[in-house]
Amino acid sequence: MDVSHSIRERTIAENSLVILLQGLHGQVTTVDLRDESTARGSVINVDAFMNIRLEKVLYRDRRGRVSSMDDLFITGRNVRYVHIPDSMNIIETIETQLAKIHRVRNFGASGGRKEYSKKK
Amino acid sequence: MEEDERESESERRSPPSQTSDQQTTTETSRQKLETDEDDIETKLDISSDRFDPLLALYSPQVPLPYPNIKCFNNIAEYESFMKGGRGRAKPENVEKRLRKAQKGKADPERIERLKRLMVNNPVEEEGEGSGVKRPPRQRKAAKNVLTRMPLHTGSPLGELNRCVQEKIRVKVHIRTFKGLRGVCSGFVVAFDKFWNLLFEKLKVQETVALSAVENQKSELHSSSSHLTHQTRRTDPKHTQERSEHSEKDKTTLKVTQKIATKPKVEYGRVHTRHVNQLFIRGENILLVNIQRE
Repeated sequence: MDVSHSIRERTIAENSLVILLQGLHGQVTTVDLRDESTARGSVINVDAFMNIRLEKVLYRDRRGRVSSMDDLFITGRNVRYVHIPDSMNIIETIETQLAKIHRVRNFGASGGRKEYSKKK
Repeated sequence: MEEDERESESERRSPPSQTSDQQTTTETSRQKLETDEDDIETKLDISSDRFDPLLALYSPQVPLPYPNIKCFNNIAEYESFMKGGRGRAKPENVEKRLRKAQKGKADPERIERLKRLMVNNPVEEEGEGSGVKRPPRQRKAAKNVLTRMPLHTGSPLGELNRCVQEKIRVKVHIRTFKGLRGVCSGFVVAFDKFWNLLFEKLKVQETVALSAVENQKSELHSSSSHLTHQTRRTDPKHTQERSEHSEKDKTTLKVTQKIATKPKVEYGRVHTRHVNQLFIRGENILLVNIQRE
């Protein structure tokens, strides 16, 4: 459940809904792809560009053929839908993720290098 | 008698001191003791009127009110002690000087002094990342995906925000690589500038294209003959007419077959399903339609 180490990725995630997907770490979800195929598995990691890594995946391709995989990487552009498990509260997840980013940013900024220069 | 002593001891210095337990036995003090004992006692008593400091300095026994008191070598030392020791080598001061020498940072004491000089400024914790040397500022307003949602007033995204706030049911058209895939109807919970939408209580109606284009073509051919049979059965009157103008009808039949087969083959079946919570990536959205006020 780590926040990305890149400042750029953190800001992109912070200002878009990708941050909700990043809160899905470890959850079992179904991802519908752009080409009508679907992948169901547990989310390992989602980055700022919506590239998703899934584990223990049941992959149904657009022809309906099912196959199972240990690890699947989906490029962000190929995602159409992501099913969010019913048990997850959306606003709460977003807020926890934002708090994590805040913690990391203040931890780094107060002691050492600042993210945003205070000088104008 | 005292004056005589003073003359004889004029060489020696005698600074007046309230607390002194220097006991140096000299001949003069012995003489004094021999001559007048009572007198000496009153003279040695600090609280009496006839206290003689010179005598006290050199007498062997001086009754001190506070025997365990701090000793100083001269008045200047006493004075500096009483003033709180500016420049005095207290352990904290030594540490501070060492720290300053090592880093060129402003120490927290200076920051506190500066803060006190500031008027109407809330004092912040260090954890909020305020600048070290500058006086602390009001924290920048947090800008994240949730705070950006209401910022779009006036633009179409602002309308979408209104739907979020007022929980208006919304219809979204989803696109395939060319054209419409389906329609989703539900409540928007969150959105962002890419039009990624977070839906709740969604009803998805979409058509799934059956397979690749080549297969579709073959199915067209196979189903066309099937259809001609059907049309003949349904319209016996018309078939008579068609048989008369067979050639023309063939072409027209083919055209009608093509039109007839399109909804059956190319668009595939329409699936309807309900999803409680769904995330839709913005690039797949064709249009968003507000269903009702």
